[in-house]
Amino acid sequence: MSAQFAAKRLAKELQKINNSLPPGIELVSADNLEEWLLDIRVLDNNPLYQNQTYRLKFRFGQSYPIEPPEVVFVKLPDRPIPIHPHIYSNGIICLDLLGQQGWSPVQNVESVCMSLQSMLTGNTKNERPPGDEEFVRANRLRPRDIEFYYHDNNV
Amino acid sequence: MPPPNTPEEGVTAPTSRPTSPIPYRQASPQPSSAIACASRGDSALEIDYQSLEYIGPVDDTLLCPVCRTPFHAPITTPCGHTFCAGCINRALEMQPTCPIDRQPINKTRDYRRLPLIIKDQLDRLKVKCPNTGCDHECSREHIEGHYERRCEFTLVRCPDAQCSKRIARRDALAEKGCMHRDVSCQYCDEAVTVVELDTHYDRSCSGATASCTECGATMVRHRLEKHKSQDCPEGQTRCKWHTAGCRVAEKRRAVWEHERSGCMFEAIGRLLQERAEDRKVIDDLVGRLAGVEIRTRRREQRRERRPETSPQQLGPALPGDMTIPDSSPTAATELRPIEVPAVFLGENRVWGSPEDYMLAQFERMDTQIEDLRKKMLEMDANQSLMLLQTNARLNEQLAELASKVGVLNMHTTWLMNMQRQNHTQQRATTTAGPVNPGMSRSGDAGATRESPENPIRYNGSGRRNSDGRGENPPRL
Repeated sequence: MSAQFAAKRLAKELQKINNSLPPGIELVSADNLEEWLLDIRVLDNNPLYQNQTYRLKFRFGQSYPIEPPEVVFVKLPDRPIPIHPHIYSNGIICLDLLGQQGWSPVQNVESVCMSLQSMLTGNTKNERPPGDEEFVRANRLRPRDIEFYYHDNNV
Repeated sequence: MPPPNTPEEGVTAPTSRPTSPIPYRQASPQPSSAIACASRGDSALEIDYQSLEYIGPVDDTLLCPVCRTPFHAPITTPCGHTFCAGCINRALEMQPTCPIDRQPINKTRDYRRLPLIIKDQLDRLKVKCPNTGCDHECSREHIEGHYERRCEFTLVRCPDAQCSKRIARRDALAEKGCMHRDVSCQYCDEAVTVVELDTHYDRSCSGATASCTECGATMVRHRLEKHKSQDCPEGQTRCKWHTAGCRVAEKRRAVWEHERSGCMFEAIGRLLQERAEDRKVIDDLVGRLAGVEIRTRRREQRRERRPETSPQQLGPALPGDMTIPDSSPTAATELRPIEVPAVFLGENRVWGSPEDYMLAQFERMDTQIEDLRKKMLEMDANQSLMLLQTNARLNEQLAELASKVGVLNMHTTWLMNMQRQNHTQQRATTTAGPVNPGMSRSGDAGATRESPENPIRYNGSGRRNSDGRGENPPRL
């Protein structure tokens, strides 16, 4: 039942995405209902992310939308990882919306993409999170199992 | 919190129990229990409201924010937001806050009663029956009754109490017994269940009758392919002379008539066939000649080997010469005629058969070459005949063209002469011009004189025309 619930919800989302998407968001591939790839661009005049396109990977579990999907940036030859104080160099994103506590079943792929666009637009620091190298080297957990401490309400 | 929510998720009926104090909720359990009683009889599966297909657009305000489908058993939170009962219960298991505004929701007793006007809007939405094959459409409030009691495509329990499989209601008749038992098809003796018998007849049974989609003829299914590829008069096919250049590609009936009436490319096609046959014969002959050549080479090799053996035979004869050292040359000459006949005799016997064989082979080659010459002569004759025919036709056409050209020349010369005569007449009229005013001055008598002169001149021109016409016959 829950698995069908997630499939039905994702099917409706995919149908809506195919009809229209907000500006700056493009669907790259959605061959199944488990892993989707999307491209996002920052349309404002932020010099850090101007004229750049970033690749996002969504992985949905059986309990979606009750539980949040796994969202990470993917590094490709023409798709870099954005430099942001809350985005690690391996693509993991520290955002309470994607955490267990901050997630809401009302959210969807569109709202997550828009939140990330807003997160990038509002940034003015050209730096990685503190301890990025150590974290990337030592991290063995899946993005959904990492318990971040969300402390920054500005960036 | 989770423990109280768990039983609510399991069954929708218990959700109404906590809300029993509310008068509105008291009314709703009764119809649900009635439906449950009815469904127990048929034991039909419940409708999945999230998979229903709605007809026409649905107002966004009637969609559940969690499952994005129109509300099913809606519940309103204390903060005023509405969700499906199942959706909000599932969400509260993870986090006891409203998914939209994150207001805390402590207990189920905080749920509010939904206004009836919204319930009516939801009940009036048009939906399609979820069963495949059923095209029934009705309002959402009636779809459950249709699905559980009237739809013929709903899966219900098999009439046989021991069989646990499900079957469509229209096929579930008590008289027929268990519909999942195996029976043998009366046409092809294949084992099929009773439920699948109809589809088996319509699709895969090779012994059942089927009709051709193009000409409507009825026949056994396993003969249908051959009929379509060879016999169907309505099937598409090409003229059998398409290799010769005929481009007719229509229905087989029309093609048959086309071939009977005489295809323009029939003669060429037949010629091509004859040429193909001749080519085959020639290829065979060439192959045979190659084989003969190979054999001759092998025999030549064998001949080369035999002279080598003859010296060996002469070898033992030499010791015989040693017995007479004084008259060795004369002895050798004398010994040779003694041995030579035997060797020649043996050689003759051995050579006889290969010689005869070679002669036979040569005779065969001669006969084949003669046949080839004859065929070449025939081919040349055919070609010369065709050339003569074409040349004759061309000559006739040339003669016709020449005669036409002659006629045209005569016409042009005649026209030129006519134009010259006209020009001379025009000059005469110009010379008579100045005379006319003098005559007019003389008076009416002059006018009367002028009138008879004009026809005279015209008559003169007519005479000249007749003279010209008279000249034409001798030229022709």
